[in-house]
Amino acid sequence: MNKRLLLTLAFAAGVGSMIGILNPNPVEARIKLATLPDREAVVVRFDNPNVVMVEEERTISLQKGVNNVDFSWAGTNIDKGSIIFRPADPAAKVEILSTSYPPGEAALTWQIAATEPASIKFRLSYLMANIQRETDYRMLVSKDEQTCTFKHYFKIRNWSGGRFATADFVTRDGKKFEKGLENGEAKRVMVNSWDKVKLTKEYVYDITRNYEGKVMTDYVLKNAKDIGLGAIPLEYGKVRIYQDDGNGTTAFTGEDWGRFTPIGDDMRLNIGIAQDIKIEMKKMTNDVQNRRGNVYDTDEVDEYEIKNFKDNESVVTLVLRVDGEWEMKNDSANFESFERIDNETIKFKVKAPAKGTPIKLKFHYQRKNVW
Amino acid sequence: MRTTLAILILVLASAPLCAKEELVTLPQRDSVQLTIYNSADLTLVRERRTLSFKAGDNRLQFSWANTLIDPTSVDFQAVGEAARAALDVADTSYPAESHEMLIWTIRAKSAGSHVVEISYFTSGISWGAEYTGMVNTSEDVMHLTGFVTVTNNSGEDYEDASVRLVVGTIHMVERIVDLAQPKSREKIPPTEAPDMDELRKMERQFPAEKGAGGGAGGMVRRKDIEKGTLSEYYIYAVEGQETIPTGWSKRLQSFSIAGVPLKTVYRLEPAKFGPSFTKVLEFKNDEEHKLGKEPLPDGLIRLYRDQGQGRLGFMGALASKYIPKKEEVKINVGPDAECTLAIKRISLKKKDLGFRNNWLVGWTMVEEFEMEVKNFRSRAVDIEIHRTMQGDFDFESAEKFEIHDATTRKVVFTLDANASRKLRYTVTTRQGENARK
Repeated sequence: MNKRLLLTLAFAAGVGSMIGILNPNPVEARIKLATLPDREAVVVRFDNPNVVMVEEERTISLQKGVNNVDFSWAGTNIDKGSIIFRPADPAAKVEILSTSYPPGEAALTWQIAATEPASIKFRLSYLMANIQRETDYRMLVSKDEQTCTFKHYFKIRNWSGGRFATADFVTRDGKKFEKGLENGEAKRVMVNSWDKVKLTKEYVYDITRNYEGKVMTDYVLKNAKDIGLGAIPLEYGKVRIYQDDGNGTTAFTGEDWGRFTPIGDDMRLNIGIAQDIKIEMKKMTNDVQNRRGNVYDTDEVDEYEIKNFKDNESVVTLVLRVDGEWEMKNDSANFESFERIDNETIKFKVKAPAKGTPIKLKFHYQRKNVW
Repeated sequence: MRTTLAILILVLASAPLCAKEELVTLPQRDSVQLTIYNSADLTLVRERRTLSFKAGDNRLQFSWANTLIDPTSVDFQAVGEAARAALDVADTSYPAESHEMLIWTIRAKSAGSHVVEISYFTSGISWGAEYTGMVNTSEDVMHLTGFVTVTNNSGEDYEDASVRLVVGTIHMVERIVDLAQPKSREKIPPTEAPDMDELRKMERQFPAEKGAGGGAGGMVRRKDIEKGTLSEYYIYAVEGQETIPTGWSKRLQSFSIAGVPLKTVYRLEPAKFGPSFTKVLEFKNDEEHKLGKEPLPDGLIRLYRDQGQGRLGFMGALASKYIPKKEEVKINVGPDAECTLAIKRISLKKKDLGFRNNWLVGWTMVEEFEMEVKNFRSRAVDIEIHRTMQGDFDFESAEKFEIHDATTRKVVFTLDANASRKLRYTVTTRQGENARK
């Protein structure tokens, strides 16, 4: 009944000293006659945004009766409580009786009962700290800025203390790639590439994004099938943007952080300042009206003079904010369209003529019940 | 010998207490039972030993050096009618030279062997529950497995002990660990580097635990954990005996139930789940959910999702409080970027301004809000959103908002796969002298 064969599943990370028939080191002094089943089918999963889960398979030769199997992970960052150990085939005629944790060791012992001698494949899952993941993108924009090639990279850095001779790494969107990864090593892999993705270019004035009032150039990608994306939610990550210069080479035109973009949502990327578009704001009217005790209304006109020094007409988006209770007056003028985003925010689209011909957006509004 | 707890029969019974040249015998434990509480650092130990007594006074020394035993709790009982009739505790002495020793004077009517029970409280042994939920791919069914882990840091090895675990909150006026170490409030004795001979012995004994009975084909089966009730408490009795050396922990499966129905609800409910719109997995500790046979003691619940072919992905964890029978369990697995909620104020108006002496003393604010829920998942999801207002307010909406409490309104609906829905509501708040309450 009482098998003295202790099978040791050592995590393959600097734990060689722990394994042996008799280990004289008093800290790791439990007697272990060890066989070392190889790690098979190792999978490192990044499904959860905060933790990394490792799954591996080991084929263990069991004898009839009760077998003790050791698992030790000295020098690695395994969350002890998260360890799940089970036969890969749920119908296997084995039963895990108990789990014991020795004092002062990164180790445990399973008691496994088997009806007959057999080699059984077990699956071992655990959460592991200090495996960092990072997503980044590379965008190659066409000369006419109508389309781009969008490449998605996944980078892993392994500080866990463990090493993976070979493993399947699975990204949050289920993309799988097989690599080896040493402790301290980082690897970056291109996991997706999409060609001819349609993009929209926008010139945006928004002093909450640029307090100097400079006009920003944004590319907007909709994560949707009809523009060539939409296959997976896009993870948060840095996007480096290059443009085809028409001479067979490319130039770097900027970078931005792309926020997590579910399917159907927009990813907005600021590539820099549009130097050829200038906007100057003046307050033309600021009158108090309708005073009642300490309460009054105001009549305000803000004028935005837009000069587009490009050779082509451009549409400029102005995102403006007014606090409190207010309404826009009908004589506001010189815009193509507007949208009240929320109570405080209004967005105008203005067509700016080419070659520096100014256009003045008149934003006339009344604040009410101010005190 | 690592075990520091010893019972000695002092043969030279007439020697003065301070005499050191005592010839002693060391009776072994026949059995030991541990009743471990999880709400306090407390374990009741009952051990039985067979002792030989001579007629007249017998001195019995009980010592517990380097353990965490409460000296005030140590008790001696004869077991069985005959023993009770034959033995009498004449007195109990606490020698001045040791705070970890007592001597009973047992008066025996005649010479003979008797079984006695020594019981005491010790700290340093604890148990905790943990749960693992394996959720299927469509997140509507879970396989829930419960575990109990017993940890022994008491300084004493308990071999072949029957173990009972108490679920419930007991009232204590003093901590056992303080009673065990009244002078110096020493720390729990550190686990010393193990002695090799002792370890060899432990290795030999370790698997030889009793009680896991032979099943079909001679397979040793997993031990059952019997659940019973006692007053306000539940008692989990582990089948057979366990050996838990000091410094070790041992985890045993308490139950394993497949097919527990599970519901996924996306919730904005700041009072319970914080300020974020979050994904909550829900089930109930009742028969309908294949549970409900006993309460679930507080412990960490870890959820894993089936990724196909038996592979798992980690979903999240919840440090759960005690879950009585019939109680609902809601596990917040965190915000999910694939189901989002945005709330914005789309208009603000002030009306009914009231003045006294040309000074504003009352007004009413009318605010219109728009919530947009987007479901980027390829399956329909259940949504529950709570909105809490302050002050004297009216809440109006064409949507089916319900009153949750005096200040909170909630709306519950199902959102189709890859769909979005906008809901509007208006909050009118009377301020200053306009407020009626």
